[in-house]
Amino acid sequence: MSQSSKSVALLLLTLVLLELSMRVGTAPICAHGQAGCHVPSLADLFDRVIQQSSRMHGISSDLHSEFEQYFFPSKNLVGKRKCHTNGILTPDDKENAQRIGREQLTEVILRLLGSWGDPLSQLYHSMSQDQNQDFNHYSSNKALEISDVVHELRDGVAKMAEKMKLLGVLGNTVGYISPESLVPSSTFSFYKQGELNSMDHHDLLYCFRRDSNKVKNYLRILKCTTLPELDC
Amino acid sequence: MRKDLGLALLLLLLAAVQTNSVSPPGKPVLLGCRSPEKETFTCWWEPGSDGGLPTRHRLYYERERLEGVYECPDYRSAGRNSCFFDKNHTSIWVDYYLTVVASNALGNATSDTFKIDVMEIVKPHAPENVTLLVEEREDSPHLYIRWERPRNTDTKSGWVTIKYELRVKQENNKWKEYMSGTQTHFSLYSISPGSVYMVQVRCRLDHGSWSEWSNTTDVKVPNYLRNERPFWILVSIVSSIPFIAAMCILIIKRKYVKQCVLPPVPGPKIRGVDFQLLKSGRSEDVINALIVNQNFPLMVAWKDQMEEYLMVTENDNGLLPDPSSCQKRKKSLIIPAGFRLDPEIQCKESPPRQKGQEKAGVTKNEMDSFAKSKKSLPGESLSNLEPAQKPQCTSIHFVNTEATEQGPSNHENTSKPCTNSGYVDIQRHVESLREVDVKQVDYSRVKEVNANNTIILETENLPLNSSGYMDVQRREEGVSEDYSRVKEVDCMIFLQKQNASVDASCREKGNQYTDCALQKPRNPRVTGVCKVGVCTELIDSGYVDTIPASPLM
Repeated sequence: MSQSSKSVALLLLTLVLLELSMRVGTAPICAHGQAGCHVPSLADLFDRVIQQSSRMHGISSDLHSEFEQYFFPSKNLVGKRKCHTNGILTPDDKENAQRIGREQLTEVILRLLGSWGDPLSQLYHSMSQDQNQDFNHYSSNKALEISDVVHELRDGVAKMAEKMKLLGVLGNTVGYISPESLVPSSTFSFYKQGELNSMDHHDLLYCFRRDSNKVKNYLRILKCTTLPELDC
Repeated sequence: MRKDLGLALLLLLLAAVQTNSVSPPGKPVLLGCRSPEKETFTCWWEPGSDGGLPTRHRLYYERERLEGVYECPDYRSAGRNSCFFDKNHTSIWVDYYLTVVASNALGNATSDTFKIDVMEIVKPHAPENVTLLVEEREDSPHLYIRWERPRNTDTKSGWVTIKYELRVKQENNKWKEYMSGTQTHFSLYSISPGSVYMVQVRCRLDHGSWSEWSNTTDVKVPNYLRNERPFWILVSIVSSIPFIAAMCILIIKRKYVKQCVLPPVPGPKIRGVDFQLLKSGRSEDVINALIVNQNFPLMVAWKDQMEEYLMVTENDNGLLPDPSSCQKRKKSLIIPAGFRLDPEIQCKESPPRQKGQEKAGVTKNEMDSFAKSKKSLPGESLSNLEPAQKPQCTSIHFVNTEATEQGPSNHENTSKPCTNSGYVDIQRHVESLREVDVKQVDYSRVKEVNANNTIILETENLPLNSSGYMDVQRREEGVSEDYSRVKEVDCMIFLQKQNASVDASCREKGNQYTDCALQKPRNPRVTGVCKVGVCTELIDSGYVDTIPASPLM
């Protein structure tokens, strides 16, 4: 009996060790830029990031126009809109954008992206839970997609900023910006506490469309000032 | 009275109004705004009625995140009833609220508020300087289209990204659209030479509206046939080189080729006859020709040959066989060696033609039967072979030469003057022939066996040389009179006996030398149909050469 228990214990030990070794083997392989591993260049990062921002803006535009057609067919709705990101100072034309410099531009981008993570997931939840509207049910997938894209984009821009700092093109004044520091928690209650209705959805979509356009433009300017030879 | 007064006053007022027709202005309508490069924008409105008085329009705007109401900075740059916002007054991602106020002496009119965000009203100008170029590369032309971005758009800083689209129309077909992305050039392949192409280009900024199509630019693709021609000339030259080489080789080796392609047909030769002399036609030459081969190893050569022979009957009526009967002939009897045939032909005492023919036919049958049997019949049996055909003129018949021992029996016919018949088949076996002694000889060669008309050559006993055949030339030496002449061969060969003892029944037709005929046409002197070799036709000699010169076919 003791012998059998011993053998069982031995077997278990072997299995555990194997599993651990396998776990160790699953560590990311390209973490430190070993040979044979393709480390993306800054140009690659820029391209990737710009592609994603373009996609983000495209989806948001589609969603917004669909929303408008479905709910508010009359054009030119007059109403003073307020977005929760109005607190973030953003350059509103080309000259201003070029004037503020790369570091600030990068920071603005990161702020914008960071401030939209939670509202978008909130939007998605609100849309998917709305049983009455077919539109919401149908379009909630797009909201989810946007939410994911925004997260990825934010991570991508952060990486790119790191890379730029590494290459020396970006000053060190840009620190890592945590989502919490960007937007005060009161923003979430900016729109409404509790459930969001269609008007809120509409406002959210409108504001997000605008901000995604800003991000796209800023990224392009950033790219062309940093790497002017590529497609500029 | 009051009523009348009021009415009159009303009428007066109306009249006054009508003559004056002044009123406050109508309400203007804002039509829209447009930003061509996302840095400036322009708005247009439509004025209402002016009310008959000079009316002024003003545009006022409010802006998000900017306090106050402002007036349009520039009414002129963009034309009438428009307002142009330059760079300083343009902000993106903020809302503008615009109103137009029309005012005249009598009052104002305000349009509805019009909200815009510059981000949404971007519509660029059309691309400029669209140029077309036809390029040839590797014999396939293609169209290279290039253009320039619309003016004032700033792609250098990345502020705007322009995407292009073009459309191409080939003559009277439909427009075909192509996306060009952000490039300012495009190549169109697979264009057809000789047709006209029209191209238009348009663009848009980011996700904004498309611009108008540019002005049409067209180009005519020239025909490229002449470029292809040198190529085809080269191809034809190169492909003709082996052909020419082959021709040269053929010409150089023409003799060899001629031998291969056209093998020499063995010419007809009559052994013992000199062809050329015969042709010349002179009798002495003929004689000489015939004398050429004295030593005639004829028999030797014929050893392996089968012979066809011809049975000759003599017709006393001398009529030519009718054509129909001639047609039938074609039969040739081949008598293998060792076979003896004793055909007997009917004599001609009075055989009507048909009779002779039928007898001949019978005989022929006999011959056939003989042919089938391969036995040699003894000479005695010869007589057995003749059934009731014993004519009064004994017809002799002999047979085949081969049996030497039977040679003597062969002669029997010779004594018969009448020709009715007998013929001899000379067999080709050389050895037998050779052995045939002088005596034997008298046989003649049968040229052809005709079903109905058989020709039998009867030969006389002639002293022959060792070769054992009857040679005409022997005769010439005065051998004997007992030879017959072939008078005429049409379907038949008629032998004419010179001998006086010849039966009267023998007919004399004339002299004719017949040789084997080679499809001679019918004429009085036509020769028979034997298939051997060349025929020479010699009128005067009237000899039948019983020996076919060439191997039988």
